[in-house]
Amino acid sequence: MISKLKHRIRLRGFRLSAKLMITYVLLTVIPMWLLGYVSYRQYTKSIEEQIGEYMPRFLVQANANIKKHMDELSSLPELLFNSDDMIAILRRDSYRSRADLNRDQFEMNSYLARTYLNGNNPDVIGVFLLSKNRLFQSTKLSYSGLDWHQAFTSYGQDLKLRTNVKVILPREIGLRFIDNVPYVLIMKQIEDVDNRKNLGTMFIAVRLSFISTVLRDFEKSDKADLWLMNRSGEIIYHTDPKKIGTFDDKIGEYPILNGSFRERGEDGPRLVSVNESEDLGWVLVHSVPLEELTERADFVRRVTVMVFVGVVVASILIFALFSLRVTRPLKRLSRLMKHVEMGQFNVDLQVQSKDEIGALANSFNSMVATIRELIQRNYHIEIRQKEAELYALQSQINPHFMYNTLETISMAVEEGEKEAVVEMVTLLGRMLRFSVGNKSKFVTIAQEVQHVRDYLTIQKFRFEDRLAFDIAYALEADGESLYTPKFVLQPIVENAIKYGLEARKGLELHIAVGEEFGARSGKRDLVFRVRDNGPGIPAERLEELERTIREDALAGRDSGFGLSNVNARIVMLHGPDYGVQLHSIHGIGTEVAIRIPVTTASEIERSGHGEERNAREETRNGNDSHLDSG
Amino acid sequence: MFRVTAVLLLLAAFVSACQIGGHPARYEVIYSMEKGTASAQQTAPPAETPRKYTIGIVPKLVEIPYFNLVEDGAAEAAERLGVDIVYKGPTVADSAQQIKIVQELLDQGVDAIAVSANDPEKLLPALVKARQQGIKVITWDSDTYREGRDFFVNMVDAETLGRHLMDTLAWNTQEKGEFAILTGQEKAATLNEWIKWIKVQQEEFYPKMKLVKIAATDDDPQKAYELAKGLLAEYPNLAGIIGNSSVGPPAAAKAVKEAGLSGRVKVVGLSTPNMMADYLRDGSAQIATLWSPKKLGYLTVVLAVDALEGKRPYDGQNIRNVGIIRVNGDVVIMGEPVDFTKENVSQYDF
Repeated sequence: MISKLKHRIRLRGFRLSAKLMITYVLLTVIPMWLLGYVSYRQYTKSIEEQIGEYMPRFLVQANANIKKHMDELSSLPELLFNSDDMIAILRRDSYRSRADLNRDQFEMNSYLARTYLNGNNPDVIGVFLLSKNRLFQSTKLSYSGLDWHQAFTSYGQDLKLRTNVKVILPREIGLRFIDNVPYVLIMKQIEDVDNRKNLGTMFIAVRLSFISTVLRDFEKSDKADLWLMNRSGEIIYHTDPKKIGTFDDKIGEYPILNGSFRERGEDGPRLVSVNESEDLGWVLVHSVPLEELTERADFVRRVTVMVFVGVVVASILIFALFSLRVTRPLKRLSRLMKHVEMGQFNVDLQVQSKDEIGALANSFNSMVATIRELIQRNYHIEIRQKEAELYALQSQINPHFMYNTLETISMAVEEGEKEAVVEMVTLLGRMLRFSVGNKSKFVTIAQEVQHVRDYLTIQKFRFEDRLAFDIAYALEADGESLYTPKFVLQPIVENAIKYGLEARKGLELHIAVGEEFGARSGKRDLVFRVRDNGPGIPAERLEELERTIREDALAGRDSGFGLSNVNARIVMLHGPDYGVQLHSIHGIGTEVAIRIPVTTASEIERSGHGEERNAREETRNGNDSHLDSG
Repeated sequence: MFRVTAVLLLLAAFVSACQIGGHPARYEVIYSMEKGTASAQQTAPPAETPRKYTIGIVPKLVEIPYFNLVEDGAAEAAERLGVDIVYKGPTVADSAQQIKIVQELLDQGVDAIAVSANDPEKLLPALVKARQQGIKVITWDSDTYREGRDFFVNMVDAETLGRHLMDTLAWNTQEKGEFAILTGQEKAATLNEWIKWIKVQQEEFYPKMKLVKIAATDDDPQKAYELAKGLLAEYPNLAGIIGNSSVGPPAAAKAVKEAGLSGRVKVVGLSTPNMMADYLRDGSAQIATLWSPKKLGYLTVVLAVDALEGKRPYDGQNIRNVGIIRVNGDVVIMGEPVDFTKENVSQYDF
């Protein structure tokens, strides 16, 4: 299940803009929403708790007020004892005539009217006094529904009330006043404290308006309900007058009768506060919809939600725009990269902005430009390398040299110098083998020196005394372990002989092989020095030459000139720190220094392996083409 | 992946929170003021010890109507309040016997003693001893000294009663003539207090009247009758007799009637309506004054139980079936005296 979900919610598969949106929603919208939700919940809860705490206290106060009022009402019967005459009437057991009884009733009724109905308690609407089969009464409102004869048996003088005062609800007694005025009956026994006898029972009907007076100041909201009921749920007073006399059937379910609780009704949750008056056994209930309490919080919530939604929509729009701005150049970039991949380098990513995307575009542009340039340069270098190698190959078997040598050999044959001929042919053969046999770009120093020695020896046969040479070998290691690019010495020597013998009758050549510290490379370099006592080079010519050599090395301009070819090849192989240097004093001589790094076999293996293989392959290809053409 | 898990967790937590919120109990208590276990424990001890209090009530003497009525009232209260009473008094008004009875009650192990003292001085040591044993001692009807009791349940204010008794005689004798007082015990503190106020009232308002004799009956009806006869013989000009204890007025009325002096020698004083009804109707007595002895007995028991429960009476206290009492220092005043005349005497049943 979860793995399925994982598959479905695979972020990797989404586009960047989608990821950005999801991230934004996760990091901004959800926390904001959660924060708002939690703080709203907490706020309403704290309101609820506050009201839930103080409301029962108010109810206690209200209950105390009602109790106080009820106590005052309960003490009303005591007023009877103020009149000895009335007590005397009540003490009377029997009458001689009906007229006597009627007189007593008249006196008592008018006393009741004077004392209670016109007294200082306006809530009293009726007084009834049951005594020894007599009913005394006085009411403000007409009433019905009560059979006093039955009431005698229920509430008559025989009843010994255990409690001081009893409150009777209309339903219990059936008494109804006109207009269904809500009332309660306060029942109290009239005790003759002197004779220790029961004189009768007094009922005082009290209008419940006093409760509404107590409660009205207490709750002004229309939506809140406030009612008073007894323990069995009969509603004595309710802010909705229609409910007076009905039952609150939920009283049994209420978890507590002193405190407050939340009730989930059909029309939303309500906060119900209850307080029970122990003396009266009455429960005062206050019930208010939670909405009412949190009305202001709800308004704030609605505004917040609207603002929140607005902000979210706006920010999502802005964010979408932003992510489009990010992803559009990226898309273009990827399209352009496809082009580049296909080999089209003439592309330009136009991004105006200076941010990371702009930087990326700039980088891309410069990268493409660099690649383009590099390709071109590599292309040129390759060509030049081939040209240099071709030239070297050509020089090795210079036809002019071959011709001169063969002519020298022929002359030696004519003169019968057999030994010289054998040596020259041997040398020439070795030279040819050196040229043809080794396909590598590198040879050992010994081989290179041997080769130039062979060359010079052959030339010595030809020019005899006009040419003198010596080769000083000053290396710590032997010539077999160090390597040099192939065919670097011969072009120099050739040059020296060519120009030297043109201008002088005799030429001395000194070749030195040694290690020197190189200022440019910062290491010990291998240096070949070829010094002659030829005509030298004039200063301006030397300058031009040097420039030509340098330029040639970089520009790759073709020249048949050996010096620049050698220099170009060394630079190509070892970098610009190495190459050919010219020192010359006009009229005295020239020294050419060839500077190369100290290169061992392993270094060639390492650096030149690929190159060598390439070279080998190329040669094979070349061979093949030769074969094809042949 | 972590993010996805986190999102899922968050979602799960939220959904579960919603479920908790979605199906709650119908009622959720926010604040409760129900009395906790602490108060439940407080109410527990009385329930554990439903020990009945036993209260010893000692009248001045037994077998006279007044004290029998007190016993009735006390029994009524005992029944209502669920306590036991031992009503025990001497057959004649005698301090020595009262002391003996107090001692007996102590031995019996009563919780409280309520005494109507014949002689405040003589009874004092016994009461002090009882108090030292941790027994609540109150006095009723007739007081002793302060150190002998917690408080005194007085029927009426002594000054009011004393002055009123004087007035009732003065109305009937046209504020002139000689009169005598039949009191109970010579040393009974309450009686002597009333006599003091009778004298004050006479000196203040009735200069033409003269108190000629104060005779102590010891609440013995026979002795009282003898004394009354003696008074009539000794003071031929006697205009009236004030009975200071319940035995006095009937004895005086009887003597007056037998001497054929009904209407000429006026008889007033403290006595019960039942004892006086006949004399009032035939004119040999004019006004009887009293309170309800039953009420006194009832009140005494109620206050004794209250005292045992650590509640002292307070001024204006409304005692059920008694009414509002007054308290002046350590003296409780039950109410106002009631006058019985031939018109209203039939209303009263004691």
